[in-house]
Amino acid sequence: EFHFGPCHVEGVALLELWKAFGAMKDIVVTQDKIMSVRLLKQEVFQNVSDAESCYLAHELLKFYLHTVFKDYYHKVVEFKIMKSFSTLANNLFVIMSKLQPRQENETVSIRESAHRRFLLFWSAFKQLNTEAALTKAFGEVDILLTWMGKFYRH
Amino acid sequence: DPGAVVPAPQNLSVHSANMKHLLVWSPVILPGETVHYWVEYQGEYESLYMSHVWIPSSWCSPTPGPECDVTDDITATVPYRLRVRATSGPRASAWSALKPPFNRNSTLLLPPRMAVRKDGSHLVIELEDLGPQFEFFVTFWRKAPGAKEHAKVVRSVGFPVYLGAMEPGAVYCVKARALVRAIARRSAFSQAQCVEVQGEALPL
Repeated sequence: EFHFGPCHVEGVALLELWKAFGAMKDIVVTQDKIMSVRLLKQEVFQNVSDAESCYLAHELLKFYLHTVFKDYYHKVVEFKIMKSFSTLANNLFVIMSKLQPRQENETVSIRESAHRRFLLFWSAFKQLNTEAALTKAFGEVDILLTWMGKFYRH
Repeated sequence: DPGAVVPAPQNLSVHSANMKHLLVWSPVILPGETVHYWVEYQGEYESLYMSHVWIPSSWCSPTPGPECDVTDDITATVPYRLRVRATSGPRASAWSALKPPFNRNSTLLLPPRMAVRKDGSHLVIELEDLGPQFEFFVTFWRKAPGAKEHAKVVRSVGFPVYLGAMEPGAVYCVKARALVRAIARRSAFSQAQCVEVQGEALPL
């Protein structure tokens, strides 16, 4: 299960996420022509505190599910990877739904810190044209899973 | 009759046990014609974010019989919408949808089958292989007043697991239950199975 600081998530096996993404990665990454840019830069995840991790995970997963996965789906159909995509999307949806980051006053600074990290990713995303940004973001799911893996307990 | 309408399949339901999920429905009867069925699914993500998207089932697009193993399609613990239609040649029925949607956390978890035996002076158990999502919680004890119960979690199956050494002349018992983390549930315990160790009981 995942322990993003105070937020615990059961019922999702990290291995299943890697298997699902692994089945799509080759075809997705070859579409990414802009090798000099990385959206999920090191600074996004550098020294993330446990307390921040729940907010950051929730915000990233929400963006990925609401925007990246949704708007990239025409490519998923084109590449005929709907089954693996569905496994990945539905399991990430389970995680996002179960992450209930607290919203009290004393967590404002932590939330803002996590949001600044998200904005690093988001602003880089916005600087690319839409198709290129979606392709690169989807191709960087392995970077996201690697970071999430640090909070996974067998 | 080439012009006749193909009726939609009826009575959809899912029979699920030990994380194996079988979608079944009543067959469509068209005398003299060959009927095939097409099954599609969508998880909660698709139904919330892209409800027009339906994914062909892994094994049943098409299938000749009125059932479909959807185990490989149900890969997250969320509600899944499933639908079926019948075809005869170029003609197709309307879609029939399963109601309510199916969630794998409703699967029936049965007590695991196990074989308990002695290997020399060792207590050994072998558990049935129910797939990668299963772990087993095994408890074993010496059948004697006040005897302590030992426990062990077994993750890989299909070969003997040594539980511990036994003393001559004693009786040892074992029981097990299945755990599935993906749905955060466990089965009931199996019936206890006991074995007796030959030889003289050691003096206390």
